[in-house]
Amino acid sequence: MKKWITIALRNILKNRRRSFVTLLAIAMGFAAVSLFRGYINNTYQGLRQSAIRGEGLGHLTIYKKGWLEKGKIDPDRYMFSQEEIQRIIDIVEEDDDVILATPQIHISGLVSNGHISTIFLAKGVKPSDDKTIKGAWAAFRPVKGNALSKKKPYGVEMAEDLAKHLNLKPGTDGVVMASTLDGQMNALDIEVAGIYDTGSDATNDKYMRFPFAYAQSLYDTEKADRLVVLLDSWEKTECARNRLLSALSKAGLQCEIKTWNELSLFYSKVKGMFDMIFMFIFIIVFIIVVMSVVNTMGMAVLERTREIGTLRAFGLKRRGVSLLFAIEGALLGFLGSILGLVLNVVVWAVIRAIEPSYIPPGVSTSVPLIVNLVPRAMLSLMVFLILLSLVAAILPARRAARLNVVDALGHV
Amino acid sequence: MSLIEMRDIKKDYLLGGTSVHALRGVDLSIDKGEFIAIWGPSGSGKTTLLNLIGAIDEPSSGQLFVEGQEVVRLSDNMRAELRNRAIGFIFQGFNLIPVLSALENVMLPLQIKGTSSSEARDNALSRLDEVGLSAFVHHRPDKLSGGQQQRVAIARALVTDPFIVIADEPTANLDSETSHKIIGLMRDLNEKEKTTFIFSTHDQRLLGQVERLVRLEDGKIVGGGDKKNEKMDNDSTSQHTEK
Repeated sequence: MKKWITIALRNILKNRRRSFVTLLAIAMGFAAVSLFRGYINNTYQGLRQSAIRGEGLGHLTIYKKGWLEKGKIDPDRYMFSQEEIQRIIDIVEEDDDVILATPQIHISGLVSNGHISTIFLAKGVKPSDDKTIKGAWAAFRPVKGNALSKKKPYGVEMAEDLAKHLNLKPGTDGVVMASTLDGQMNALDIEVAGIYDTGSDATNDKYMRFPFAYAQSLYDTEKADRLVVLLDSWEKTECARNRLLSALSKAGLQCEIKTWNELSLFYSKVKGMFDMIFMFIFIIVFIIVVMSVVNTMGMAVLERTREIGTLRAFGLKRRGVSLLFAIEGALLGFLGSILGLVLNVVVWAVIRAIEPSYIPPGVSTSVPLIVNLVPRAMLSLMVFLILLSLVAAILPARRAARLNVVDALGHV
Repeated sequence: MSLIEMRDIKKDYLLGGTSVHALRGVDLSIDKGEFIAIWGPSGSGKTTLLNLIGAIDEPSSGQLFVEGQEVVRLSDNMRAELRNRAIGFIFQGFNLIPVLSALENVMLPLQIKGTSSSEARDNALSRLDEVGLSAFVHHRPDKLSGGQQQRVAIARALVTDPFIVIADEPTANLDSETSHKIIGLMRDLNEKEKTTFIFSTHDQRLLGQVERLVRLEDGKIVGGGDKKNEKMDNDSTSQHTEK
């Protein structure tokens, strides 16, 4: 085998210019796919953090069975009672992968500064649990003023654009109004404790965060419509869901559990779009690599027809000829990938040095362009390109193997 | 049975839709250790005859036995094994692998056979020494003269210790002095190792060195096919050459 690799390598080096063009095509393909993979890897990472920590979705959200379908029509029926909340927390927090389980209530209504009113959407959260869920995200998008606190039960956090519309600042007062679960109008005084940026144009003029008990009192209920569960790793999400669902079911609690990515529409849509673009780039690279290798190996077979005849005359079998050219194709894939790897790292280093930033559509602030180095994806891509080059070389290699020995020897 | 046995061998080619009769009923037997020249004008069927003996081509009809095995009955892989084990080739254009050194070229048939690298290397060095190229083992073909390249090709043909070495116009690309040296070298190896050498040529000056001459004309053997007539044929060639 070593001999055939040597011959293949020397033939690649012999036709320097042609080999270089092929290697460059493979390298550019590798770098393009790998860099884009690194970019979307970072984007997914950011969006994942944004959904789990920023939006406060946690990793899992537990609903009473039927809430998602009929909860809006008959909320009281599909909300968790105090007792159910406690039972669920006890069961869920027994799981080793769970950091916390916390009840939430999502409310909506009108918020007024005394002169003008506008709609709001809000989450009632337990301040200390909310802080745990946010984790390091809190430093990325800090609250101006004060965060929610147990000490000030009527202090709320308001999204930046909503506060701007109502001309409210931290420390100023307002009124929120909503229908209770019984359908009565209810109004409560609030104080804007802090102002925060949701990160999205679509929500920055609507969102608020209430202390859990205060949100309950606006709806005149002691119930919660969901429990948010935080795990120690996002990678355990799916396993934890199945485990918890089974544990809750065993305890006689009929629940539905949604994962963070099922609930974050933004994540799903962006991921869908990037996956499509990735596939598009990947197919282009696939075609370029296949055509380059087929062309190079086709030329090699044509130029080395007499050599093939000679090797066959000395007893090399047909499959030996195929192997020789397949090895050459695989070597092109390997060397091209190595060159692509170098190109990838160079571009990655340049991006890190320049630190460019941009404002994505629908996002309220600029974000840095960061490309991750994803070793596992790079390795997979390298293996894929080597195999692809090998397969692409098989076509001309089979043609070489089928050559008649006499015709091959007589080839000029 | 002789080492090579040909019975009423015919070979036809299709050339541009027309059937060309390259061999028209050849009977030939060759024994171990012979040193034979196939002689005849261009287009007489010399190369076709050698290709058939070398098991790289099939006759259109007739029977061909190499080492007692009927070649047409062998699969492609079996023929490849036969060639690797029993037949060595020397080509007019040397046909050395350009990316390999002289030593690596000579090692190649052994490596195709599956011989270990160290054993192949030792055998190849020994063969290169026999052909007087010890000082050039690491030279690539493009750094060697035509004569040196053909010596490498001879070493390569002999490295597997074949029964037969087939050389198609081995001196066609060489000058007269080198041609004589190459044929002389082949003759020495034939006498020393009793390897059968069969070569084609149309260079009459080389025929004095052969012990048996097979003359081909228009796809038929016109002299030397039967060993009993060998001397007469050689004598007539000598007279022919002297003219």
